[in-house]
Amino acid sequence: MKYRLFISIIMVEIVILAILFIRGAGLAGKYQKDIEARRMLVSTLMLTDLSIWTEARYTRHPSQTDIFSPFQDYPSSIEHFPAGSILSPEGVYLQRGGKK
Amino acid sequence: MNRETVIRVEDVSKCINRGRPNEVWPVRGVSLEIERAQCVVLKGPSGSGKTSLLSLIGCMSRPTEGRILLHGRDVAKLPERFLTEIRRNTFGFIFQQFNLIPGITVKENVMLPLYPTEMGLTEIKTRAERLMKKLRIYERRHFHVKGLSGGEQQRVAIARALINDPEIILADEPTAHLDTRLSVELIEILKGLREEGKTLVIATHDPLVYEQGFVDRVVEMRDGRVI
Amino acid sequence: MIKHLKILEFALSSLWRRKFKNLGLIVVFSLIIFTLSSIVFLTYSFKREAVAVLKDAPELIVQRLSAGRHEMMPVEYMKKIKDIPGVGKIVPRLWGYYYDISTGGNYTVMALREGLQDKISLMEGSFVVGSGSCVVGRGVADARFLDIGSIMPLIGADGNVRRFRVAGIFTDESNLLTNDLVIIGEKDFREVFRIPQSIATDIVVQIYNPTEVDNIARKIKEALPDTRPITRREILRTYDTLFDWRSGMVLTMFLGAILAFVILAWDKATGLSAEERHEIAILKAIGWETSDVMELKFWEGFIISSLSFLTGLIGGYLHIYFFGASIFSPALKGWSVIFPEFRLVPYINIYQIAVLLFFTVIPYMAATIVPSWKAAITDPDVVMRG
Repeated sequence: MKYRLFISIIMVEIVILAILFIRGAGLAGKYQKDIEARRMLVSTLMLTDLSIWTEARYTRHPSQTDIFSPFQDYPSSIEHFPAGSILSPEGVYLQRGGKK
Repeated sequence: MNRETVIRVEDVSKCINRGRPNEVWPVRGVSLEIERAQCVVLKGPSGSGKTSLLSLIGCMSRPTEGRILLHGRDVAKLPERFLTEIRRNTFGFIFQQFNLIPGITVKENVMLPLYPTEMGLTEIKTRAERLMKKLRIYERRHFHVKGLSGGEQQRVAIARALINDPEIILADEPTAHLDTRLSVELIEILKGLREEGKTLVIATHDPLVYEQGFVDRVVEMRDGRVI
Repeated sequence: MIKHLKILEFALSSLWRRKFKNLGLIVVFSLIIFTLSSIVFLTYSFKREAVAVLKDAPELIVQRLSAGRHEMMPVEYMKKIKDIPGVGKIVPRLWGYYYDISTGGNYTVMALREGLQDKISLMEGSFVVGSGSCVVGRGVADARFLDIGSIMPLIGADGNVRRFRVAGIFTDESNLLTNDLVIIGEKDFREVFRIPQSIATDIVVQIYNPTEVDNIARKIKEALPDTRPITRREILRTYDTLFDWRSGMVLTMFLGAILAFVILAWDKATGLSAEERHEIAILKAIGWETSDVMELKFWEGFIISSLSFLTGLIGGYLHIYFFGASIFSPALKGWSVIFPEFRLVPYINIYQIAVLLFFTVIPYMAATIVPSWKAAITDPDVVMRG
């Protein structure tokens, strides 16, 4: 019976997904301890940004960056760092008081 | 012999593409009575309306004018749901073109009409196997339609038409694609069905069929009318 | 109930008839869901991580701007800030960037004030300020093959090399925060980069009452017109929008995948082939109702989309949380030479998964069912006409 096979495959996948999600939720709970340690680090070192894209100043410290750096070549210059296209400038720009 | 009238066709006409330039009336003012366990042949050349009449009797389309009574019940006015149920319970249809579904097995083709019912797969399988054995296609049950000969395909079509244990069999030009030997085989099967008490309505212009002894009546048609 | 299972059975048979085409469909559909769900998981985890961890970022940072450019700040600016009521500790920060020629990587160098060394967590080894030693992040250690005890050379602003002993290396758990960091003592920092005592990179201001932050920020701007205050709320908001899946490259990937999906569904949506229509007519002729035919089409769509959706979702989850987003890393990395290895925490957002479902499974099923409608309602005697 093909339908039995199909239904079992679906059930198995749902169970796997449920296990993964529940495990995830459990991990997130356990993770609280780690978060405390990281928060400590942030406050001790007075950090303001995650260390992800180290190509340029404005990709490494997006929260601290001035408007100057990304547009330093000329105002409508095309982004030359790949990471710059991932980071959305809109939010940052608007916060700096830029108008929509 | 006073037999029960199973089908009564009262002054039925069918129009296609009404009001348009290609309007055509395949059936005009046909009246007919068919009794239980009778074998009636609708005889006529192509275009005479026998296929359309068969289709109307088999509840596959509705007449534009007139009534069709099945066991005294007017089926022309019924909503689709009821019509399909009646068709499913009462009729077995053998098409001219076989109309088997390619790509699935013989067995599945035979079982298909009963899928949308509440009957369990096991029971359907049992019926199918019985029919396939009777019609000598059991060995081919796992084959696909492409791998079958013309005669085998015809017998699959018949098995499919019989799976719902219908009381009335409608056959449209059943010998059209068969040679003489296979036609004779087919006629034997039809004869057997009539002997089981089933009502047969056959549309054909093949004399091999309508000249058979077990044919109770021949209704001649031309240009959509009974002559 | 039986009827539905039987129709499901036939739907499976039907799909199996063209097994290569349909398996291919499932593969492509799954890949699309894999991509989309990977993006959803990745960005959501990033976002949650950033917001959770940066909660203890400085409440207020004061930065000096000169002609729109971030410039170093005279330490005496602190005096003007001290006078503002509601202000607590004021601490100058010293940090900057260092380009390492030998690896091509950019590091963030930070100066640590005296007395804070014991408070550093998530670090192997031990660090004493001012002893010519440093603490480095995992990324730096890997790039320069450093262990505890190795030497980390920094070329100063005067062109001379200064050697720092690696006293500590940050652990992998802290990668997202520390990957490119090099921590040295303040005196060492000033010496390497030739920054006089009177200058700092920016100033961190502690504020007692969180509701007063904006007020105080405004007052600082008035007192020091060439500065820009950055509040903690702004920092958190930056990261909130940064990792939003509705922007940037993430959006592009998203749209790309959606486009691929539309192409997939297009084949279905543009209607049935003559063969398919004929089959539906046969089904009607042998006793299937319109609703039965529609149910068949429903199952056909459901089988493909449910298998694909579940498979893609599981794949996406494993990709991000078990394999550290290894397929996406090269794309996300860009030109970063120093780039962290991801160990993300699974934060599941049911809402986003529901959105994903809505934009993929539902349209696909509609594309399968709707075009069949017209064929399904025709009278079966069409079959009779050959």
